[in-house]
Parts: sequence; C-alpha cells; structure tokens
Amino acid sequence: MNNAVDVAHLYKSYGAFTAVTDITFSVPSGTCASFLGPNGAGKTTCMKTLYGRADPDPHAETTMHVFGFDPRTQELDVKARTGVVPQDDNLDLDLNVEQNLMIYCAFYGLRRKYARRRIDELLEFMELGDRRRARVRELSGGMQRRLILARALLNEPRLLILDEPTTGLDPQVRHLIWDKLLDLKHQGITLLLTTHYMEEAFQLADNVLIMDKSRKVLEGHPRRILAENVESHVVELTNLTKLPAVEQTIDSRTIRREDSGSRVLLYSSDVSALKQVTGELDQWDYLYRETNLEDLFIKATGRRLNELQ
Amino acid sequence: MSFSSFDNAPATRSPEEGSPGRGSADERHLAQPEVSRDQPAAETHAPMRHPSSPQGHRSPGFIHRIYSVWLRHVRVYARNLTSNSLPPFLEPLIFLVGIGLGLGEYVQDMNGLPYIQYLASGILVTTAMFTSAFECSFGTFIRLEFDKVYQGMLGAPVTAYNVILGEIVWAGTKGLFFTLSVVVVVAAFGLLPVAALAAAPLVGLLTGVMFGCLSLFIASFVKTINHFNFYFSGFISPMFFFAGVVFPVENLPPAVYPISEALPLTHAVRLVRAFVFNDFAMVHLWDISYIVLFIGIFGALSMIRLRTRLVD
Repeated sequence: MNNAVDVAHLYKSYGAFTAVTDITFSVPSGTCASFLGPNGAGKTTCMKTLYGRADPDPHAETTMHVFGFDPRTQELDVKARTGVVPQDDNLDLDLNVEQNLMIYCAFYGLRRKYARRRIDELLEFMELGDRRRARVRELSGGMQRRLILARALLNEPRLLILDEPTTGLDPQVRHLIWDKLLDLKHQGITLLLTTHYMEEAFQLADNVLIMDKSRKVLEGHPRRILAENVESHVVELTNLTKLPAVEQTIDSRTIRREDSGSRVLLYSSDVSALKQVTGELDQWDYLYRETNLEDLFIKATGRRLNELQ
Repeated sequence: MSFSSFDNAPATRSPEEGSPGRGSADERHLAQPEVSRDQPAAETHAPMRHPSSPQGHRSPGFIHRIYSVWLRHVRVYARNLTSNSLPPFLEPLIFLVGIGLGLGEYVQDMNGLPYIQYLASGILVTTAMFTSAFECSFGTFIRLEFDKVYQGMLGAPVTAYNVILGEIVWAGTKGLFFTLSVVVVVAAFGLLPVAALAAAPLVGLLTGVMFGCLSLFIASFVKTINHFNFYFSGFISPMFFFAGVVFPVENLPPAVYPISEALPLTHAVRLVRAFVFNDFAMVHLWDISYIVLFIGIFGALSMIRLRTRLVD
C-alpha cells in the first residue's frame, strides 16, 4: 500500500451540527493534498480526526488508515510518525526557541544528544539558527510559525498535517514556508494541508479537495480541476457605469456572467467573445486575466457567505 | 491572433490575494530535484531523515508520556523560578508572624498545644491546597483556552488522558513543593522539630493531587475564566476556616460539624497533624480512606469530563 492516508466515509457531527459528511480521500506517499473550503466547511475537523484530536462519528462504513494505523484506536502510532502544525500558535512564550523544542523532544522520547543535533539541523533548515536563545515572546509571527514547523519535524515525520500554515503571514515568509514545504515533499514527506490561500494550494498540492457545507464538492489536480470546471479567461468589469454600454455585447451562449456587487465577472473560454465586450472599454475599466483556483472555488462554493463565515 | 490590450492588462493583484499565473506551480516543480513518489521516506536525505535516527517512530511508553507532560510544566515553572518560588516561603512566614505571633498572644492553647504550634501544623497543607487549586483551575483553563498548550501537546504522541494525568501529577508536585517550603519556614523558626515534619510533604502531595483532581473537574464545566471566582470564594477560601486549620472543628456547632467533616481539607489537616505529633487514632484511617476515594472519584471524573474539552 503506497497511500500514506486512506479515509473512507468519514462522518463527524457536533450535536445537531454536521461538520463532515461522507468524506472519502487518499493521499499517496510523498504527495501533497490540500483541503480548501469556506470557514466551517469541515476541513480542520477532517485533519483532527486523523491524529485523534476529534472522534469521528461511529459509522459502520467508516474506514481510516494512516500508514496502516487506525487513528481511532492507534492514535499514538499515528502521532509517532506524524508532525502537526495546528491552526493556532501554541508555543511557550516565556521559554526560548531551544527550550520550546527540547520540551517536544521529550514528548517524542528523543535522547538528549540526538535531540540537540536534531534541533541544530531544524533551526538551520527553518533559518532560525541565530535565534536559538531568543525568547519566543520576542519573535515575529513569521518566526513563531517557522518554529512550530520545526517543532513538528522533530520526530522526522513521514506525514505533516498543516492547518492553515501561513494564515496571517507576510508574502516573504509565506514564500519561504512554501519553499520549505516543497523541499520536504521532495524528500518524500507526505503533506496534508488546509488553506484559504488558493495560490498555496496551487503551489504545493498534487491533489485539491474543495469542501463546502461538510461535503466534498470537487477533487483533483489543481490545474486539471481548473481546466475542467471553469472557463479559461475572465473579464472583471470594475467600472460598472460602463455596464449599460456593453450589456448587449455580452453573448450569454459563450459568456457566463456573475454579478458580485462591486464588479461584474464575465467568464469564457472564447477569448474573442470577451474581446468583443472589452473593445468598447477603456483599459482601466476592466481587468482581463486567466482564471485561477479562486474563481473555481467561488464557483464551487458560491459567492454568498454562509452562516459560519 | 493576439490582443494587445489583453496582453497589456494590468496585473494589479498581490500574491496574497491569490491569483497565480498558470504554470507557476510547474516552474517550481522543475526547480526541485525529482524524487520518486514511491521511494520510502527512510531513504531520503537529511535534514529530514537521519540514517542514525535512534527512535524509529516508536511512541514512548506510558510513564514517559506522563513524565514529558509533567516535565513541560516543570520547565515553564522553573523559567520564572525566583518569582515563582518566593511566595511559597513568604506566605507561611507572613501568616505565622501576623496571626500566630500577633493574634496568638490572646488565644488559649488549642487541643493542649500552644496556638502557634497548632497553627503551624495546620498551614502545612493549606498552601498545597491553594497552589494546586489555582494551577488546575485558572492555570488549566489558560492552557486550554488561551495559550492552546494542550492542542500542541496532542499533536505529539500523548493522549488526552495522558495530558490530564500529567496535570494531576504536576498538581501533586506543587503540593509537595509548597508543603516543603512551609516545613522549611516552620523548622527555621523552631516552631516544630524537623524530624516531626518529615512526612508532611507527602501529605502535601496527596493534598495537591486531591485539589488538582477536584479543580480539573470544576474546570471541565467552566466556560469563562471568571466563573472560577465562585469556586474560590464559595468553596476553597471558606474551607480554610472550616477544616480545622485555625481552630478545632470539634468545637463547631453540631449543625455545622458534619459539613466540616465532608470537606477534603479537613482530612488532609488531621492527617498531617497525626504525623507531626505522632498521634494516630482510628479516625485517621477514615481520613486516608476519604483521601484515596476522593482522588479516585474526582480523578476519574476529571479525566472523563476534561477529555471532551481536549478532543472534539
């Protein structure tokens, strides 16, 4: 079996609220799978069931395997092979960088001498080598995030579970973290992440699962599901005062129109049809671009907010 | 066919907003060395896998897991050792000087003991109660809801039960340490002979475990941290006065006496006095049974209840 993670028919509810409904997915070893979805779609809950942070609903059909271990009954075996980067930062702020890592070395049962060497390597890898004695309270948000990532790597995990690893970080740090995660992936580590950043999924993932209202709505390689499910180009009409002037040029047979309030989006794979619309417009009245995962995401999960967002 | 106006269209989005060019993922892939997906992780290069890695993904045993939770608390506590370790010495000192010497002048002997000795033997376990109650109420709640410490731990190979048990052991450790510091103060003032105090820290440990279990149980119900004020003003603080620390409970009105007998601190105080004055009776068997039962019941309840706060 070459799948790091195999989950079938996963259900989870909190009282009357259903968080996860009949989710099935597999992650081949050494690949990256990414869960996308609005807040409350059930992404984090899926992650939590994999390492014993959430008990799935008892369901006869459900099967779960992480490296062949069932997280429902073999939580410790799963966690010994897994690194977890939770959504919230949870470092001990009064301790320094090295002390924070030493505490987790104890959790993993690493011997002191080996632990020291491992900490050296990981601080080097996460480019925190010169911060070893700094109090965590004094670190920037980006450094704290990198430290949590280093902490999740202490036990040389074969699977890394990342719950919104780059939320709230600046672009430089985000790109650094992406580079590190790609590096890890190319070393054979399986990555499983949730994210709100479409580009993150695009950069890292071999397989994207879009969730909405507890269910999986789309799955596939990011570029494949993009090509198969959304038009290739879009014109975002930003100056709506020009809309009446071009309204009759919008060919509804080849153009899908979406009104988002402040903009009108015209999706089409027929570039000449879009050209007809924009021919009448000034350059700054619209934005023409290729469609991306965000367009697909909006198409799959709707533009309106749900009650949890 | 080319559309010059399209080609010149301004790309105004920042990468943050998520508008990747097609193919950017591809370029990144090309920049990285190719690794077969089927290759087991063990054969890949450093820093992620050491050929000499000694642990080999085995989860540590039960005792080690509890120990590592406990060790985390010790390390964080020791980080501020000066500010953390002064109060346990100062509090009994102030209390003995203020109440014992000041008020003690006007108080008759209690159970045949000079008041200061009666008081000194009583407060051996009260700081253990206060510290473990604080640790497992406010402290636990902060770790749970604000600092998210447990969420981090639960990513490592420890179970929720291990985490809770580690808290209880830590509460016992603090009880032991706080009683030990009272012992030091009491012995330094020559109020009681050192030999008589030898067993007191053990009772302090039991007291810490007892109030750790109870407080974790309370914490499992609490939704906002201010609710602990009811627990402290309504239960812990009054217990100090009705558990035989500052006056013998036997003198209480018959209507109140059974309440005092039901309080956990009463039994810890009576037990520690038995050790200090080497004066055992049948009643102390009842005290020991009470303490053991109390720890068993509230330990189990806190594990069951608090797990639901740690695991969804």
